[in-house]
Amino acid sequence: MYAVDSPPTPARSPQTPPAQHAKPVRRRSQREARVAWLLSLPTLVILIAMLAYPLYRMIVLSFQNMRLKELFSGATPPWAGFDQYTKALTDGVFWGVVGRTAAFTVVSVSLSVLAGLGIALLMRRVHSKVRIFMMVAMMFVWALPQLVAAQSFRWLTDSDFGVLNYVLTKLGLDYATHSWFVNPWEGWTVITVLVVWAGIPFLAISLSAGLTQVPKELLEAATVDGATPWQALRNITLPILKPLLTIVTTLSVIWNFGLFTQNWALRDGHPEPVYQTLATFSYTQAFGRSNYSYGSAIAVITVLLMLGVMIFYIRQMFKIGEVD
Amino acid sequence: MSNLTATAPSETVVTPKAEKTHRELRAFNGLAHLALIFWALVTAGPLLWVVLASFKSNTEIFLGEPFALPSTFSLETYLSAWDQAHIGQYFLNSVLVVVISTAGTMLFGSMAAYVLARYSFFGNRFLYYLFVSGLAFPTFMALGPLFHILKNMGLLNSYLGLILVYIAYSLPFTVFFLAAFFKTLPHEIDEAATVDGASHTRKFFQIMMPMAKSGLVSITIFNIVGQWNQYLLPLVIMQGQGAEEKWVLTQGIANISTQAGYHAEWSTLFAALTLSILPMIVVYAIFQRQIQAGLTAGAVK
Repeated sequence: MYAVDSPPTPARSPQTPPAQHAKPVRRRSQREARVAWLLSLPTLVILIAMLAYPLYRMIVLSFQNMRLKELFSGATPPWAGFDQYTKALTDGVFWGVVGRTAAFTVVSVSLSVLAGLGIALLMRRVHSKVRIFMMVAMMFVWALPQLVAAQSFRWLTDSDFGVLNYVLTKLGLDYATHSWFVNPWEGWTVITVLVVWAGIPFLAISLSAGLTQVPKELLEAATVDGATPWQALRNITLPILKPLLTIVTTLSVIWNFGLFTQNWALRDGHPEPVYQTLATFSYTQAFGRSNYSYGSAIAVITVLLMLGVMIFYIRQMFKIGEVD
Repeated sequence: MSNLTATAPSETVVTPKAEKTHRELRAFNGLAHLALIFWALVTAGPLLWVVLASFKSNTEIFLGEPFALPSTFSLETYLSAWDQAHIGQYFLNSVLVVVISTAGTMLFGSMAAYVLARYSFFGNRFLYYLFVSGLAFPTFMALGPLFHILKNMGLLNSYLGLILVYIAYSLPFTVFFLAAFFKTLPHEIDEAATVDGASHTRKFFQIMMPMAKSGLVSITIFNIVGQWNQYLLPLVIMQGQGAEEKWVLTQGIANISTQAGYHAEWSTLFAALTLSILPMIVVYAIFQRQIQAGLTAGAVK
């Protein structure tokens, strides 16, 4: 009986059922709504308590002036209006950090998405045993804690005992006690290599899973019709892959924009001004200097900046998740 | 081939070209193999180094011969890391926290994703966007207030607090991924179950969960990896009096390395780093069949 009066796809198209069935259907849908809310309740409670409420507090805090005194006494900090925001927005150091974080995000995301896509495409062409070997290697890199990866890189680039200097010296270059973090360009290259290296596995694994959705017949037909591999890639593979590409690129931007662990660990927990990103800057201001309100204001500005640039893609990402 | 040319003369023009592209393709495939093997070395290289160095003594590390094999494969550095650097304790702390919080994430996340994907009810869209909007915020954003809230709730420096925070930070992606996954599953089977009078609980655990197995396995691994890797969250939450005993593995590792500098135990650090990879090998061994099935599914011609 239920099968008869239930719409073909209940989740997607809630149609109005025929009049004579209206009563039982409504009772059933009320019961379903209760079950649905009940099952969503734990997620709702945890997210509100641990994400939404802290976010709200952060916004409130950014309009106050909280220092160590208020932290220990528990008194309400004095209101400061937009002072914290004015302080940040008129601070050249802050804008330097913004520019650095943005530039790093653009470079590292483009490099890792391109490399991830390239590796995913190559993996379609090799023997299945090679493919599984690659997958296992990538699983381990992906599973490596960011901190561990950063520590390994710190050791690899150590000025006295690092492998990198050892190899370069063996190749006849004068890198015997070269320090990689004196020149910020070199230091940021090391950080970018680390982030791209660690980021590729997630991208390559997801994209190669996405490539299995591209019908082989379609590619073969295109080749028979004389399409070059480049044309086949541009006109067949990429359009099919586009939703997935949007999702993984958007996620990569959000993750890399919040870079913290890598520069933090490579600089031993005391990043010099030139190695600060928005995340470490906000953290240092709040916890290092006990400027909790200033740290919050920086965090709010960061979210707004990122949402401003990414809102279109983030919306698209959610839409894709909805339709699929 | 000759048969073909005999029956269809027009093909003769095409055949040499096809052969040429075929040869080109083979050469390209060879190059692809080379490129991938090279990349595999680059990928795995740093990892192998860490494992190799973990067996060396401090003196051997500073000999300046990074490619040399250790003189003996003794487990001394591991014992020293496990006991003296308390890595054993931190390791078990991490396992405890990640097991509970991944289980919690999967339970709550799959329940919410299931109803959001399969039930139409008032507030569905609202809940969906509320849940997944957490994805758009970088982790570090709400750290300061989170610290104060946990402090007020008395959850600072407690596993319960850390676990709840881990679950909260993992839920948005879990719900996003699983909701999309549940939507692709066929509706006929659970409709049939409804006709046969199955309860919601039964439909969820006995029909939907088995059908969604591959998606559930992927996202479980994703969450285990993500939570095992956390450093920033425990750094903020697990501080205060007596926190050192409750640290998780990443904090222990960071502690060795800040203490190490050039003086002390680099070998201990590498042993600790290697130990941190171990659980991933275990996870891989457990889920090996599902992972490989997932990986080869699309590859079968």
